[in-house]
Amino acid sequence: MRESAINWAFRLLITVLFAFLILPLIIVVATAFDASGAVVFPPEAFSLRWFGVLLESPDWMRSIANSLLVATGTTALSMAVGVTAALGTRRPDGSVGKALTALAVLPLFVPGIVIGVTLLTFFSRFDLQGSYLALVVAHSLWATPLTFSVSQATFARFDWTIQEAALDLGASPTRAFLEVVVPDVRAGLLVAALVAFVVSLQEFVMALFLSGPDTRTVPVQAWNSLRQGLDPLVSVVSTALLVAVVVLVLVGSVAVGVERLATDA
Amino acid sequence: MSAIDRRSGIDALVERWRLIALLIPLLALDLGLFALPMGYLLRISFAGRTPGGAFVEGSWSLDGYRYVLDSALVHEILAFTLLFGVLVTVLSVAIGVVYAYGTRRASGWQRTLLLSGAVLSLFTTLVVKLFAVVLVFSPVGVLNDLLLWVSVLDDPLLLIDNLIGAVLAQLYIVVPYSILAVYAVLSTLEETVVEAALDLGADRPRVFREVILPHVRPGIAVGAVISFTWTVGAYAGPLLLGSGSERTIGVLVSELLLSRFDWPAAAALAVVTIAIVFAVLLAALLRLDSGGGALDA
Repeated sequence: MRESAINWAFRLLITVLFAFLILPLIIVVATAFDASGAVVFPPEAFSLRWFGVLLESPDWMRSIANSLLVATGTTALSMAVGVTAALGTRRPDGSVGKALTALAVLPLFVPGIVIGVTLLTFFSRFDLQGSYLALVVAHSLWATPLTFSVSQATFARFDWTIQEAALDLGASPTRAFLEVVVPDVRAGLLVAALVAFVVSLQEFVMALFLSGPDTRTVPVQAWNSLRQGLDPLVSVVSTALLVAVVVLVLVGSVAVGVERLATDA
Repeated sequence: MSAIDRRSGIDALVERWRLIALLIPLLALDLGLFALPMGYLLRISFAGRTPGGAFVEGSWSLDGYRYVLDSALVHEILAFTLLFGVLVTVLSVAIGVVYAYGTRRASGWQRTLLLSGAVLSLFTTLVVKLFAVVLVFSPVGVLNDLLLWVSVLDDPLLLIDNLIGAVLAQLYIVVPYSILAVYAVLSTLEETVVEAALDLGADRPRVFREVILPHVRPGIAVGAVISFTWTVGAYAGPLLLGSGSERTIGVLVSELLLSRFDWPAAAALAVVTIAIVFAVLLAALLRLDSGGGALDA
């Protein structure tokens, strides 16, 4: 009797926590479809009006293009660095491997504002503040530990004797990698790339410090208008961002399953 | 030594160099664009302050640190930030453990739903989350509307523009990390261990205390370290959902840097923040060395 009461209370607690985690996001989405110029919930009249307004706003469209550009650059850089490093530490080399992993993971524990301020002072030395390069580097510092560790986990699941067999049969190391290793670890590498893309897409604090008027990303643009007051366009953009993330997470889940997505990343 | 031995010795050497070459991009990124800029910041923190620009090029001075040591405002903000960090960390880890345990006990679609919720929240930009917090928790927000409508309350609760707002905002940012850090460890616990404990007569709360909690300690440590270091560096949450009394080091650093152009003071304060963060990281690593590394999770 007492046991079942505790169980029941526990389930209720989990439901409440889940609701607090997710319902606010659903409410944001709902406010995007309201006709009025104020942000209201529950929505009073369904309308796609604000989506049209967004498509015609040069500032917002610019920020969307900036976000996609920076996220693509971050994905490319952090995958190149993360995958090579994961291949380099494939055979655990004792203390060297540990030190490298620690070095790679370190930026993830440094608050965004500190990295933002640090890179802002550093890049302004070379007049690179506000450049796409500054944003890509900053985001790669956070994305690389993730591409690195996801790739490491992926390669650990691969049976490397197959690659050795390909080498013994006369394939060059490059050919063996591209034709034997890559097809097998494709799903894992796709997830690593998705994670990098999403990390860049959603990063805000570093972008706030490092972006200029022409390189503002979506979160920075949203922050600027949020500081002025509640704006239905922020609801619309938030909805677009959420949909993008849901789609990317779904793609990742289909590739490797949500369980592995949650524990690897 | 035969020819074949020598041959494989050379191969091993080539292989070794190839492995080292693969690590160069990582070293270049983390040393050249992380460690080096950090060093530059450290250098600026020892430069002279000047009213006319960012800092005095080439000068050496302790003025930045003197400002941090002498200013009562800085002390107040430092004290608040640390307290804020501890408060948010405790709540974040508690919620993370409960949610992860609930996820583990759920099965089928319920587990998938709970996990997806945490992953979605993790991947949502913090600006959207803060916007959502305003919509839900403001005096005219959804929660107050609901509570007033069902007549639980006569006056709206003040949940934003104060400490509660700042804590709520920060929790939305760090809780997903706590959940997933704990869950990653919890998912490695064999179900048979839990069943054995139940068969031996322990009830669920006792299993939680004596089997689950000891097992997830590394996950708790990772969640706590992330929550604390990120909250010590909190900027957007306290700024948007706190009031003037919830100013963190991050807010002050950006003010010094961007509005007052006092780079040495800003750099010195940032260095102090990094020192706090690294001290906590190091302490966590040393304590965890006995029970599995934080980096494995």
